[in-house]
Amino acid sequence: MILQNLSIKRKLTLITMLTSSIALVLSSVSFLIYDLVSFRHLLSQDLMTQAQIIGYNSAGAMEFKDEPAATATLSAFTAKEDIVTAALYKPDGKIFARYSRGKAAVPAFLPSHLQVKGYRFEGGFLEVFQEVTLNGEHVGTLFLQSDMRQWNSRAKRYANILLIFVLVSGLFALFVSSKLQGLISKPILHLEDTMRMVSSNKNYAVRAVKKYSDEIGRLIDGFNTMLSEIQQRDTALQSTNGELKTRTQELEEEVFQRKQAQEELSKAKHAAEEANRAKSTFLANMSHELRTPLNAIIGYSEMLEEETRDAGKIENVQDLKKIQAAGKHLLALINDVLDLSKIEAGKMGLHLETFDVPQVIEEMVTTLQPAAAKNSNSVNVRVAENVGTMKADITKVRQILFNLLSNACKFTDHGTISVDVDQIKAEDKECIQFRVSDTGIGISAQQRQNLFQEFAQADSSIARKYGGTGLGLAITHRFVQLMRGQINVESEPGKGAVFTVQLPTHIAMETTESASSQGTSDAPAKFSETKPNLDTILVIDDDPSVRDLMSRFLTKLDLRVVVAANGEEGFRLAKEIRPLLITLDVVMPECDGWTVLNRLKSDKELAKIPVIMVTIVDNEARGMDLGASNYLIKPVQRDRLAVLVEKHRIARSSGITDADASPFTYVGEGPAGRKTAESKVSRSRRN
Amino acid sequence: MPKILLVEDNEMNRDMLSRRLQRKGYTVVTAEDGEKGLSLARSEAPDLILMDISLPVMGGWEVTRLLKADESTRHIRIIALTAHAWVTDREKAIEAGCDDYDTKPVEFGRLSEKIESLLTVKK
Repeated sequence: MILQNLSIKRKLTLITMLTSSIALVLSSVSFLIYDLVSFRHLLSQDLMTQAQIIGYNSAGAMEFKDEPAATATLSAFTAKEDIVTAALYKPDGKIFARYSRGKAAVPAFLPSHLQVKGYRFEGGFLEVFQEVTLNGEHVGTLFLQSDMRQWNSRAKRYANILLIFVLVSGLFALFVSSKLQGLISKPILHLEDTMRMVSSNKNYAVRAVKKYSDEIGRLIDGFNTMLSEIQQRDTALQSTNGELKTRTQELEEEVFQRKQAQEELSKAKHAAEEANRAKSTFLANMSHELRTPLNAIIGYSEMLEEETRDAGKIENVQDLKKIQAAGKHLLALINDVLDLSKIEAGKMGLHLETFDVPQVIEEMVTTLQPAAAKNSNSVNVRVAENVGTMKADITKVRQILFNLLSNACKFTDHGTISVDVDQIKAEDKECIQFRVSDTGIGISAQQRQNLFQEFAQADSSIARKYGGTGLGLAITHRFVQLMRGQINVESEPGKGAVFTVQLPTHIAMETTESASSQGTSDAPAKFSETKPNLDTILVIDDDPSVRDLMSRFLTKLDLRVVVAANGEEGFRLAKEIRPLLITLDVVMPECDGWTVLNRLKSDKELAKIPVIMVTIVDNEARGMDLGASNYLIKPVQRDRLAVLVEKHRIARSSGITDADASPFTYVGEGPAGRKTAESKVSRSRRN
Repeated sequence: MPKILLVEDNEMNRDMLSRRLQRKGYTVVTAEDGEKGLSLARSEAPDLILMDISLPVMGGWEVTRLLKADESTRHIRIIALTAHAWVTDREKAIEAGCDDYDTKPVEFGRLSEKIESLLTVKK
């Protein structure tokens, strides 16, 4: 609706105008009607009075049929402008005398017989009938017709005045209402302005001004209260927001710092691992390097001893024996340190095979017989009848028994050493229990605490008196742990000691190694143990049968084999285990061999690992361009692969870098190339 | 007396072992790398070879394989010497064609027993 959408200002004006105009018009019209009605009544009374007078005056003329006299009497109406016609009618209704203004027609007969006396309004005219009597006798009827000219003009004038009055008073009302509507509309408009300002500028500090205490005033009060509440909340919100921002920044900073710390930590960890690896390599190399001159010392002293004995210089023989003993002690120490460093570097693998336990016990006791005899000890051996074979690392089992038995012999004098072997069940696992007890000096509770720690002989004086490296029990302990077994000691000073070792009858292979290596775990040939870092080959091939064949074959060459079924996994494993070398297939889904090769060679840490391409794709030039060491076409010639692996193994163990080693990677090319290549290898020393 | 070829790249070890073997009464020929060892084995026709495994130029395993593959040298007894302390992999050495095996550092008594027993078997 248009009206409804008008502004309040207009609405107010309109309402005022409409109300006042209706009231004005209604009152004026009722007044006018009343005036006109009473004026008409007055006019009719006046006309009737005139008719009586004229009737009275013309009665004589009617009686005497004096028409001219009657006409003269009627002509007196010329003075009366509103009288249109006048006529006298005889009692039979025929006209007797007439008067008319202008051309107005006079009816020839009395217009209505019913009308004898009175008046009527007919056709805009006022008609009056008057009985004419003489001495109470009816002599005729007078008829007057007035056009009510006065009334009409009066009505017109009144209407004009009324119109003017309505217009003037309307204008006045408009003026007044437009002045007064401000009382209501102004506060509302002000409120609206304020509201717009708040919503568009988001400025909650402004307030609407209250002028009057009416409803609008209360509305403004309410609005202002609401505003101040919003302002408060806004302020609170902003301060919370600020706090939140600060907190977020703090958190971000903390996260950043933690990230940094983490990075530093991982760097430190990496460095530590690197250092540990370096330490292990160093120890392994040192042990290896130390053994060579030691070998010579022991050998020459033995030789000298023989020569001196032949020459009969017995006093020198004792000294030479001391040199030999010291050398052998040093050698044992070096071997133990090498063992421990390998265990710590996690490089000590298990080489499982099934062997006969009673036979091993017999061997060990025979070996230790001289040591037992030295202190006049007797040895009792009891192996339970149900003890048969076990699957374990025989070398380590031997060393465990050797350490325990030689300790027992060492610390017992004129006593008894007992070896008991039983098949038992510990924690639902089939175990072989070896128990070595002696009647020697025993171990105190305090000494037992760090009995299995490295370089911790029970007492420093013991080393002087009994010798030994202090590593034997530590290594024994680690070996037992490695084979998922348990070692315990019971002892009292002066009453001997009892060492109990429980080893699972069947040790399961670690699942981290490839399945194929588990399959051939019974293979006795295991050179890898003494070659830290250099015993793993990574085979990357998507064909499971190739992976299986390769790992079977390589395991036979004393290598640990890790397989990867695709390029991505291969790259990840290469980074993780740093193998001695990688064999790489070319045709693989997703990430092909060329891509893997490229990635390996562009990685600073992995670039040195030799890569042998093993593929059906005959593109040796590309392989060599990308940095492959060798290129073998499937089906692989096993001998050739074996030769290549051995070369790389020697090259790596001699510390020759890939750059040095690269010439001999072309072994397949002919004797000349091979010669130059191998002469490079010969530069490295070995014993 | 039986002739022994000692293939060993370390000079001291070579000297020491050869002198001790000579004291035992053996004739000793020495070579310092695999290739020379191979040619001496062919020219000198020794009764027994003491073969170091990690040799320059040509490894001990390879020399062994070549000798064992050759009809004229197949009969020569070979004892492999490995630098690895206590790895008991006699079978690996035998697989490669060696007749016996021993670890370094050499325990001379044990080694000479092995030499004697191998030479006795031959006789």
